[in-house]
Amino acid sequence: MGRSMSQISFQSVSRVFRRGSEEILAVADVSLEVADREFVAIVGPSGCGKTTLLRMAAGLDFPSSGSVLVGAREVAEPGPDRAVVFQQFALFPWKTVRENIGFGLKCRGVPAAQRNAAVDRYIEMMGLQGHENAYPHQLSGGMQQRVAIARSYALEPEVLLMDEPFGALDAQTRIEMQEELIRLARVNPRTVLFITHAVEEAVYLADRVAVMTRRPGRLAEIIDVAPVRRAEAWEERPIEEVMDLGSFTHLRTRIWKMLRDEREAKAEAPRVTPLQRRKAGP
Amino acid sequence: MHIGATTDSRSYRRAVAAGRARMASAGRRPWIGAATVLGLAILWYVLTTATGAVSPARFPRPADVWSAALQLTLRGYAGGTLWLQIWYSSRLVLLGFLVAAATGVPLGLLMGMSRRAEALINPAFLLIRPIPPLAWIPLAIVWFGLGDAAKIFVIWFAAFVPALINTYTGVRTLDRTLIAAARVHGASERQILTEVMIPGALPLIFTGLRLSLQASWTTLVAAELVGAFFGLGRVLIIAAQDIYPGMIAFAMALVAILGALMTGCLGLLERWAVPWRRT
Ligand SMILES: Nc1ncnc2c1ncn2[C@@H]1O[C@H](COP(=O)(O)OP(=O)(O)OP(=O)(O)O)[C@@H](O)[C@H]1O
Ligand SMILES: [Mg+2]
Repeated sequence: MGRSMSQISFQSVSRVFRRGSEEILAVADVSLEVADREFVAIVGPSGCGKTTLLRMAAGLDFPSSGSVLVGAREVAEPGPDRAVVFQQFALFPWKTVRENIGFGLKCRGVPAAQRNAAVDRYIEMMGLQGHENAYPHQLSGGMQQRVAIARSYALEPEVLLMDEPFGALDAQTRIEMQEELIRLARVNPRTVLFITHAVEEAVYLADRVAVMTRRPGRLAEIIDVAPVRRAEAWEERPIEEVMDLGSFTHLRTRIWKMLRDEREAKAEAPRVTPLQRRKAGP
Repeated sequence: MHIGATTDSRSYRRAVAAGRARMASAGRRPWIGAATVLGLAILWYVLTTATGAVSPARFPRPADVWSAALQLTLRGYAGGTLWLQIWYSSRLVLLGFLVAAATGVPLGLLMGMSRRAEALINPAFLLIRPIPPLAWIPLAIVWFGLGDAAKIFVIWFAAFVPALINTYTGVRTLDRTLIAAARVHGASERQILTEVMIPGALPLIFTGLRLSLQASWTTLVAAELVGAFFGLGRVLIIAAQDIYPGMIAFAMALVAILGALMTGCLGLLERWAVPWRRT
């Protein structure tokens, strides 16, 4: 099967929101390349524009300036080649667990028998057995999130866009999901853009971690984790062991420091953005 | 509700007790309703028959209503027997209601989905809407005569509005993230309509249909009062001319019962069509 290149490329992307007469610069001049089959995590303070970046890659929002490319084509609309796991799950309340997970396959016209087999596989993988016919409001938050993840995985998309997908999970399930994601990434590598608040999660999962500044969100730094992961064979080891490694804690602490510096810099003097400067001018 | 650490155990116990009471009252509710009806019936009997506090010329006694019921069922009144009158009114209500639902719901969906459709339809709608449906009766009679068509037209007009507005609101207030989720999972515009917008709007569509049905009955009875050859409204107006309180009360009760039956059917349909709302 031929596989098209599916790198994501943000090229000097800015996004301005208008709220009444006020202009809010949410994302400021972000340039970021996610290579084909690379796993990039974005961390940053709340409200720094992470979700906005992801929505632009999904085709649900568009840059005010700059451009977003997926697989060398400018993103014009959403498509099942780029499945999204939303921060607020966005499950269909009127569909059962089974119907939610099978939704993308149904849209694609996969016959029912084949669809059911795939859905069964993901129900088992996500530990949702016994809840196949429940409606989302009958599930716990963590279970809802697992359904949302399964719904995206089931499409086997070339690009996975995940917005804090493990945010609502308890620590134990979260670790299982992280290991599962690593396993999936190894069996069937795909391009992943992964947003999280949890620095450890980012370091454990990602090839590279992009750290963003406070609003207006810019890229502060990109940390390359892949060489360390490969050298120390993280993927062969259980997660607890990896999180104890000196190299892991070193990277994690470095990112923590960056995020804290970012907070303190903000407290000292508000950053002047090009947009504000322009507005303040004579 | 969140039971925080600051909550003292007394208010916690109170909350638990309230929850238990709520559950118990849900089971008891039909009995309370039956008791209320029975109480009113006894009061009615006491006031009109046992004590004679209310004159039967103003308010019928149970016996008067019973004899009116017998008369309408066995010999007929105002041009027909019970079944004919019920058939006439129910048929018109159902026809008017179905036409209203079949036009109001799709138009509401269209307006909810497309800004252009909304811009096109809304001004006309806002212009016509303040006219009370009953004010259309004279025009309807001029256009269609005294027959069924005029009544169906007026019922349609009254029942169409709540169906449209609620459907439109149902689509408009739908969580936009759900539509985005459908798009990123590959739904076509058609699938977004059938898999997301219609099911998402369904609870409000049913609210609209219930209001439509009520409006249909109101309008039908009013239209039959103005001019009709058969029907419960006709029974009511003839009974008023004959000063026959027993028959008036019986016809009113029939309207209430038929209305409740149809609303009940709609409720069953809703339970079947909106299974995810069932608790
Ligand atoms: N549609 C919108 N209209 C106006 N402002 C918006 C809109 N969407 C986002 N914003 C603003 O843009 C900024 C970035 O929002 P975004 O949701 O991308 O943040 P985030 O990094 O995902 O935050 P969190 O970690 O809390 O999810 C915020 O300040 C937000 O208020
Ligand atoms: Mg976000």
